[in-house]
Amino acid sequence: MTDAANPYLPLAATVVDVVDETPAIKTLRMTLDDPQARAAFTYRPGQVVQLSVYGVGEATFVLNSTPTRPEFLQCSVMRAGEVTEALHGLRAGDQVGLRGPLGNAFPLDALRGRDVLLVAGGIGMAPLRTLLLYMLDTRADFGAIRLIYGARGPRDMAYAAELDQWADAPGVELTLTVDAPDPGWTHRTGLIPDVLRELSPPARGAVAVTCGPPIMIRFTVQALRELGFADTDIVTTLERRMKCGIGLCGRCNIGPRYVCVDGPVFTLAELGELPPEL
Amino acid sequence: MSAYTVHQGQLPGLFRLWAKLYKVHVPVQTAPGFYDFAPWEPDTEIAWDYDLTVNPLKRHLLPPREDLVVFDTRTYEARGVFQAPQQLLFGVHPYDLRAIAQLDQLMELGSPDRNYRRRRENTVIFALDPLRVAPDAFWSTLGAGRADIGFDLYWTKIGPAMFFVEVGTARGEELLLAAGEVERAGAAQHEAARRTREDTRRRADGHGLKFPWQELPRVMAKAWDAGIWREKSSMCLACGSCNLVCPTCYCFDMREELDESLGKGRRWRQWDACMLPAFAQVAGGHNFRGKHLDRYRHRYFRKGKYIFDLIGEPGCVGCGRCIKACTARIANPLAVFNRLWEEYA
Amino acid sequence: MTDKPKIAFFDFAGCEGDQLQVANLEEKLLDLLEHVELVSFREVMTGHADDYDIAFVEGSITRPEDEERVRGIRARAKILVALGACAHIGGVNCMKNFMDEAVYREHVYGHKARSYPTGPARPVSAVVPVDAAVPGCPIDANEFLRVTKQLLLGMRPTLPEYPVCVECKMAGNVCRYERGGLCLGIITRGGCGACCVTEGAQCWGCRGLAPGANLDAARYVMQDRAGFSRTQVQDLMRMYLGHTTAPL
Repeated sequence: MTDAANPYLPLAATVVDVVDETPAIKTLRMTLDDPQARAAFTYRPGQVVQLSVYGVGEATFVLNSTPTRPEFLQCSVMRAGEVTEALHGLRAGDQVGLRGPLGNAFPLDALRGRDVLLVAGGIGMAPLRTLLLYMLDTRADFGAIRLIYGARGPRDMAYAAELDQWADAPGVELTLTVDAPDPGWTHRTGLIPDVLRELSPPARGAVAVTCGPPIMIRFTVQALRELGFADTDIVTTLERRMKCGIGLCGRCNIGPRYVCVDGPVFTLAELGELPPEL
Repeated sequence: MSAYTVHQGQLPGLFRLWAKLYKVHVPVQTAPGFYDFAPWEPDTEIAWDYDLTVNPLKRHLLPPREDLVVFDTRTYEARGVFQAPQQLLFGVHPYDLRAIAQLDQLMELGSPDRNYRRRRENTVIFALDPLRVAPDAFWSTLGAGRADIGFDLYWTKIGPAMFFVEVGTARGEELLLAAGEVERAGAAQHEAARRTREDTRRRADGHGLKFPWQELPRVMAKAWDAGIWREKSSMCLACGSCNLVCPTCYCFDMREELDESLGKGRRWRQWDACMLPAFAQVAGGHNFRGKHLDRYRHRYFRKGKYIFDLIGEPGCVGCGRCIKACTARIANPLAVFNRLWEEYA
Repeated sequence: MTDKPKIAFFDFAGCEGDQLQVANLEEKLLDLLEHVELVSFREVMTGHADDYDIAFVEGSITRPEDEERVRGIRARAKILVALGACAHIGGVNCMKNFMDEAVYREHVYGHKARSYPTGPARPVSAVVPVDAAVPGCPIDANEFLRVTKQLLLGMRPTLPEYPVCVECKMAGNVCRYERGGLCLGIITRGGCGACCVTEGAQCWGCRGLAPGANLDAARYVMQDRAGFSRTQVQDLMRMYLGHTTAPL
């Protein structure tokens, strides 16, 4: 049996670049060390990987790069515990272990040919970034793209260097909002669900994809329903602690589903069939 | 399917031979009233009439702690670790057989777990019909009193010194015949085995589910808000014992540690339990099942519904080990399921 | 830290059995010492320095001068680790907290009792902040290694939060209660591999209460289910857990 077929065996990857996004978030750009593994590695927008700092542990991150730009793999890491702390300590040239890709992906087939509303809160922009970039790279396949991106304050907004680019992309409507603005802030102020209601983007022919902290998702979903989005047209991601990543260890188990295999992407309709343990 | 008649006198020779090829585990009495599987030695007295072993057999397939990967922190080279001893589990009761068959199925659901599969491939299983039924057991009414697959040989004691042995696999038959000729079973032995099983089943059927097990998921689906969850869980010690002695619970944690050089280390898995508070906790501290009630309910839903939804049978084989292991006397799938049936059928 | 971190051991009221456990690590200790500089460790060396990064403190705090001394250690150490039950939870020394002070002082110091003021025995954390702990009586040497390695990696060492039952079941033991015994494994923090039960004894609770231990349920199990008297349960709980709320 080859080691390549062992789902528990991480691949070695090297950090090629580190971006300081916010005081709490760093983005790691990585390439797999083994050229063969690098060539063979494919993923779909929304899939996750397990990153290891050996001796410290493993944690789950969405790949927020896009398979349409295969130069490197990118994950954004918010400081939350031992592993993320150790990942924050990495510099270009350091190595990590990488297992994946794991889990399902955004339902691109269901999104193609329709308008797509992206609603991101904080680190929730990471999974939506991969989707956004993928759509920009295959622009003709999608209708209008509206992105509402909120953070606590301007300094907490990840991907700041890319926001202008996104705003200028064809057929993209970008709205930024913060809870606590600073003097230079020229965008909106207010909670994401309120901004969403104010903008009231059309639900007809559109799919909404929302990621962020659980509480933000809860109120965003409420607003989306008010705007007329059906539960089958609201897509979100679930946060669960994953360990094995292959649907066995039970850590991310909810009802008969395992977030690491059946998720992390679910429609609200799918979540409705699961026990209320969100 | 072919069957043989084996006499007690043939056993020492067979065991000696098997023990050369495999680590052989057999049921023994460890203290008055307590049984467990132990490595066979020439002077081992096999507990032919054991009712239940303290530990299920999962530790031989999914050990309490198992290394998965060794790594080097300087080069970031990593290597999978596999340990899969040649082993023969002798005397496995059908409910435990069912549990192993379930593990086989569940461990294949995701990306196949090669550590498990290798162990499983190197494991020979000789089943044994129970002669006695443990007081808390209810396997018969869960359909786990008899298994048609998952064994290499199936033994039934049909006399003081005589066994009826049914062949499950070619490997099993080969091992049975390895020490010399064995008599083919005749009609009388077939009939004796049938009677023995019938006799055990009659006694086992007297205690168990009050409804067909196929109804479980339907009943559970209505029972999310049942009062029994709060009632029972308030006395939960969150010790995980019910999970850990369960032959079908297989959740595990993954951990790692460097050696004293700080340059090399290993990552292993170890048994985990959904009844432990930290199980559903995520980074940042949020806990998806933060209360005793949430966890207690989850375990029964997993046994009665979630596993059922995945593979078409309950995640409980009715062995009764969790009932014995729970010091607070709240773990009891039989009582819970029967009560839910009364309330929600 | 460009230099090797400096490590020192200190002892207060206790038997030094935990430092002995460390000394007994032999080969593994030598490997670990490649990464640290040992500046004070009575069990294996003479001499002492007041310059250290990680202080391992053994023993409980019971005399007025103990308090002052442990504050000094805290002020000098970057990281303070409570080593063993006495330092971690107060341990067996706390049994005296349930006795009359005059009685135990007379018992220990005889007619000189008046010259030796002592107070209730307390864990180190009752006096100064503690960064990490290696629980147990004695400590588990491998756990000491793990905690130390994690500190050297800049991690915050964590202890298992589950009770001893978890590792007892992993060890395949028959439950003490099934054999008519008494056992504190149901509420005691795991991490010891259930060594006492595995060796045929019971759990005495030396690793302290598991976080969130359900004491109501434990009393129900020990008294109502297993039939032990309130006094028997209380005596057992006061052996190691005297400083917690459990024995009250």
